[in-house]
Amino acid sequence: MIVAKRKPFNEIKELISGSKKILILGCGTCVAVCLAGGEKEVAILASQLKMALGLVNEDVEIDELTIERQCDREFIEEISTKVNVDDYDLILSTACGAGVQLLSDVFDHKVVVPALNTTFIGVAEGPGMWTERCRSCSDCVLADTGGICPVTICAKGLVNGPCGGTRHGKCEIDPEKDCAWTLIYNRLKKLGRLNRMEQALPPKRYSVQQYPAKIVHEAYRRRYE
Amino acid sequence: MARSFEEALTSGKFLIATSLDTPKGMDLEDLARLIKELKDVVDALGVSDNPHAMMCMSPWAVCRLALEQGVEPIMHVACRDRNRLALQSDLLAAASIGIKNILCVSGDHVKFGDHIDAKPVHDIDSVHLLTVAKALAEGKDMAGNPLKGSPALFLGATANPEADPLEPQLIKVDKKIKAGASFLVTHPVFNIENLKRFMNHVKQSKVKVIAGIRLLVPEEASKYKDGSYPGLLVPDDLIEEIKGADTGKCMKLAGDLIKEIKSANLCDGIHITAPGHEEKIPDIMKAGGL
Repeated sequence: MIVAKRKPFNEIKELISGSKKILILGCGTCVAVCLAGGEKEVAILASQLKMALGLVNEDVEIDELTIERQCDREFIEEISTKVNVDDYDLILSTACGAGVQLLSDVFDHKVVVPALNTTFIGVAEGPGMWTERCRSCSDCVLADTGGICPVTICAKGLVNGPCGGTRHGKCEIDPEKDCAWTLIYNRLKKLGRLNRMEQALPPKRYSVQQYPAKIVHEAYRRRYE
Repeated sequence: MARSFEEALTSGKFLIATSLDTPKGMDLEDLARLIKELKDVVDALGVSDNPHAMMCMSPWAVCRLALEQGVEPIMHVACRDRNRLALQSDLLAAASIGIKNILCVSGDHVKFGDHIDAKPVHDIDSVHLLTVAKALAEGKDMAGNPLKGSPALFLGATANPEADPLEPQLIKVDKKIKAGASFLVTHPVFNIENLKRFMNHVKQSKVKVIAGIRLLVPEEASKYKDGSYPGLLVPDDLIEEIKGADTGKCMKLAGDLIKEIKSANLCDGIHITAPGHEEKIPDIMKAGGL
């Protein structure tokens, strides 16, 4: 899932300054799971903003709404059945960067600003902890690396083995972080597939990464021609 | 030195090399003086590439200075700061001014340097860089396009016999050798048994190994302990010993290791580093019986 983190409160205050009626729009999928932008977090942010703005006697009206997903037009269309977007000066979105952009596309006459910094594609390690696992490089090497991504986990993204800085199995940049290549070595050894590590992996093919990327499913190709 | 680094290394002579950092700025005076002092005592002079990710002068300029002064340089090339186009064009430029020896390295992470917000490039890694440099020497660029004139390059790589665990490091070393490394310059070694273990592995190949010797100094003891120097893995008991050591003792520790390596005929040479104390390199050599 996509993991995000709320922006510093003062930055959010700055982003909404000058607006008199604000809609804080939550997203009920990834950012709800990572406790950054779901219904509860929208409520907390709304309360904090109301208190902070009330303290300086700013007359600002703040409403809250959370939809299932902001990265899907089908769900964004539901917004208009619940609120009149034109009533608001500004929409403060607690979605990931993708959600904020789609929202801006759909309501292109409205100012839409992000309340979160989108951080990574990752997994839940346990309650309240998420770690990055994928850089969406479009050229997956996990079959050769025991299911551990060196592009993501290695601080240098090295695809052919560790640098010289491995220290007691930890990364040279942070003794709290495991060296990706120590993890990969141990996993491949356990799987009896160390020969995979002995083969040099070719340089990453950045040509397969389109910026911005786009995928049209084969079954839908004619629709978009 | 009269003989080239490659000739010296393949002649069976116990080779002595050192490395210098390039200046942060335009003042080459100190460096020129050091090169003058060292040129007749070492067989080759490594020139680092933005060492510890600190922005410094590009190494080719200092390599050129070394060539002018009559000592053969080994230009370090880090994958951290350039993509595959820039790496190749720099290799061609270096070769065009007579720089032949290239040490292909990943490069310390930008976190250690003075531009911590820089993007670590790592478009290709050190194994790829060796492959690419070898291809250039054979007349083709990385995309397979023919070159009009190919560079003469003598390629090397780094390895860390002190790495823990060592096994993944050895697998990577094998890839580097297969990719075209003719010589390896190791990170500083401190434990002779670790170097023996490393040499036992690489001796099956024809690669030449130059063991890293680092002058440890008491004022940096805490940095050896806390990992401030990536790849410098100093055993705890040695750090304790260094803490109270005077200059003579520090030199002796480095010298004793040189003697031990040479007398055991463990590898093909040594690479002495003494950051901030480069003027002591001839004395370290003396302490090592060289």
